[in-house]
Amino acid sequence: MNRPRRILAALPYLVLGGYGLVAVLGPVLIGYNPRATDVVSRLLPPGSATGAGEVAWLGTDALGRDVLAQIVYGARTSVLIGVATVLASAVIGLTLGVIAGYAGGWVDAVLTRCFDVLLAFPGILLAIVIAGVFERSPVVVVAALSVTAWIPFARVARGSALATRERGWVDAARVMGVGHVATLRRHILPFTAGPVVALATLEFGLVVLAEAGLSFLGIGLPPSTVSWGQIIAGGKDYLQIAWWISTLPGIALTLLVISVGLFSDQLTRRTKQSH
Amino acid sequence: MTARRRLATLTALAVLVAGCGWGGGGTAGAPSAGGKPAGLTAAGTYSVESLDPHGPAGASAGTQLAAQAIFSRLVRPGADGSVTGDLATRWTSGDGATTWTFTLREGVTFSDGSPLTAQDVVASFDRVRELKGPVAGNFPDTEVSAPSDREVVFTSRTPNAAILGKLTQFYVVPAKAGDGFFGAPVGSGPFTVTSFTPGESLELAPNRRHWNGAPTLGRLTVKNIPELSARLTALRTGEVQVVWGIPDDQLPPLKSDPSVTVQAVPGTAVFTMWFNSRTPALKDAAVRRALWQAVDFKKIISSLYPETGTPADSVVAPTVLGHAPQPPVPHDPDGARAALAAAGFDFAKPLRLQFSGAEFRQFVQAVASDLDAIGVKTDVREKEPAVFLEDLLALKWDVNFQQLATPTRDAATNLGRLYPCAAGRNGYCNEDLDALLAKAEATDDTAERERFYAGAIAITWNDAVGMYPMFVKVPYAWRQGVNGLVLDPSGLPDFSKVTVNPS
Repeated sequence: MNRPRRILAALPYLVLGGYGLVAVLGPVLIGYNPRATDVVSRLLPPGSATGAGEVAWLGTDALGRDVLAQIVYGARTSVLIGVATVLASAVIGLTLGVIAGYAGGWVDAVLTRCFDVLLAFPGILLAIVIAGVFERSPVVVVAALSVTAWIPFARVARGSALATRERGWVDAARVMGVGHVATLRRHILPFTAGPVVALATLEFGLVVLAEAGLSFLGIGLPPSTVSWGQIIAGGKDYLQIAWWISTLPGIALTLLVISVGLFSDQLTRRTKQSH
Repeated sequence: MTARRRLATLTALAVLVAGCGWGGGGTAGAPSAGGKPAGLTAAGTYSVESLDPHGPAGASAGTQLAAQAIFSRLVRPGADGSVTGDLATRWTSGDGATTWTFTLREGVTFSDGSPLTAQDVVASFDRVRELKGPVAGNFPDTEVSAPSDREVVFTSRTPNAAILGKLTQFYVVPAKAGDGFFGAPVGSGPFTVTSFTPGESLELAPNRRHWNGAPTLGRLTVKNIPELSARLTALRTGEVQVVWGIPDDQLPPLKSDPSVTVQAVPGTAVFTMWFNSRTPALKDAAVRRALWQAVDFKKIISSLYPETGTPADSVVAPTVLGHAPQPPVPHDPDGARAALAAAGFDFAKPLRLQFSGAEFRQFVQAVASDLDAIGVKTDVREKEPAVFLEDLLALKWDVNFQQLATPTRDAATNLGRLYPCAAGRNGYCNEDLDALLAKAEATDDTAERERFYAGAIAITWNDAVGMYPMFVKVPYAWRQGVNGLVLDPSGLPDFSKVTVNPS
């Protein structure tokens, strides 16, 4: 790899690392209370001084709340929801997928058909229905997004398990009388890790985007939680006179999703090389 | 997998682009096809959920707007605030304002050709009382009879001086109106219903049989565009030609658009934030008053409503008969906190603060923020109009935000209808207030009535039945080519005389 390409390849790591730092450390450095408004300092452009004597580096929203602080707190919300949803989906998907692939026969047939049927549902629509029916809370959002997000995990895990099942060491384990659960855990699961991790990063990006979408529609997180989708929704009436409210969190969201996509691509390439 | 990644990236970009995409749009004028009179599309502030002016949604702005286009009333508010005849040509009161006799206009028919008689008026009035909707509260012990086909007599045990103003909310429907009638109603108003989708759109056509001549508009569509930015974009592109109830932030850019005219008229509406006096924590007037003191309404109004808001000094607007100025409630957060603590207020339990309509979100959030600052927790709930109305009537709230208009321009409508113990609309019950309201109803001497309402307003204000922060001006915006729009202080514009220049 030549130098410019190497820098380019490192970019997603840098961006993702930056987001991680902001999500973890940002709230420690910047205080923000979503319920506290300062109507006198509303709609200030980036870099203005607020009524409280602070500088709003990225401007303020229609209720005088600092946009930078909202983006920082929103990053944490997005990352937390993303990680929680991906974890939940991965656990469910891996378990069912590996069982299907390892067991084969009718168990596989039934489970695979189930995956296919669920895959036919448009994920975001199902999420909107679920999030709309229940009261707004982070748990509901995670559940709504996990409902369809686990299926890709199941399919990938099933494929890996199906291939690994035929390998010599699995036969050897079986001959030695190792139980099914132990075989799955020791001899099959580790080989699904590569593709599943690559898939997890990709899903993470999609989930972050879907969460922003739900919050944008006003059915995601409760108003007391800061979310990029809500900031973007809150600023869309002000695009003409205060572009920064919607645009800046929009850029933050886009950068994160693109970086996650690139990162996922690199992981996929690496796992393919290692096989 | 690459395809999915690409999809994710594309979607992310789409969100960004959609976020930035405030297009100028075309400048299509009023649609007019083949010499037919041009149509008009209007997008109001509130959705039309029901066409039944007697039912539970009867007093809502959306239903009232639809009703004044589809049905007729005995009397209606004139341009100068006085009452003028609609179906009635003449009215007289007798027996100390306990009987009111109305003479109906001759030759008025419904849009299906059947004549409108006094029996229809009687049947409609009975229906109002039977359904016990919000309009029924205006007529607690009133009976109506029809001595002849062209005469109706309203009789009540006590004098009913405010009846004219109240009757401006009473619409006459055919006596045969039954179940399913309001899906495609037949009325005697200037327009007839072509199609109606609740909460979305109402398509109207001119009523060729209207007694005052059919409107010149070929078609009138009242659309609900809940998203403000979409509503204003629709005005810019010409998809709709009339919009009203525009927030202050959007007025400067609209004013700079040469094809749009903007005008604000003083309204009858008051931002009203009732406390549910049945909530144990809010039973005590001292608590309610302290909460009011905790909010810096002056600052909120000057920041959020520099153009259409003025701090309120009464429960009803100055354009309404009975308005009596009250001393302002000073902003005093420290005093409020001390008063709450002294009254044993439970700071740990959040108050359910309900409202409907995105245009009020910032105001409500700013109020919640000020309450938060003294340690009072609020659970702000923005509800769909239908849910909001249901919960409002069921008192499933602790603080309720409403922009309360007085379309009749008489304090009887809102004070007399909403505040007596029997109404049970905000959980507040005070016998002195009931007595004053009854006395005000019982005389047709205007000066006397104003005196009684001043007393009633003083009780309501001092007991902080609610917070009354702001009087509202109603801004209207319309595209070039629209003429003859009657700007109404209650946000119920009259379209019957509107003409649209074909462009």
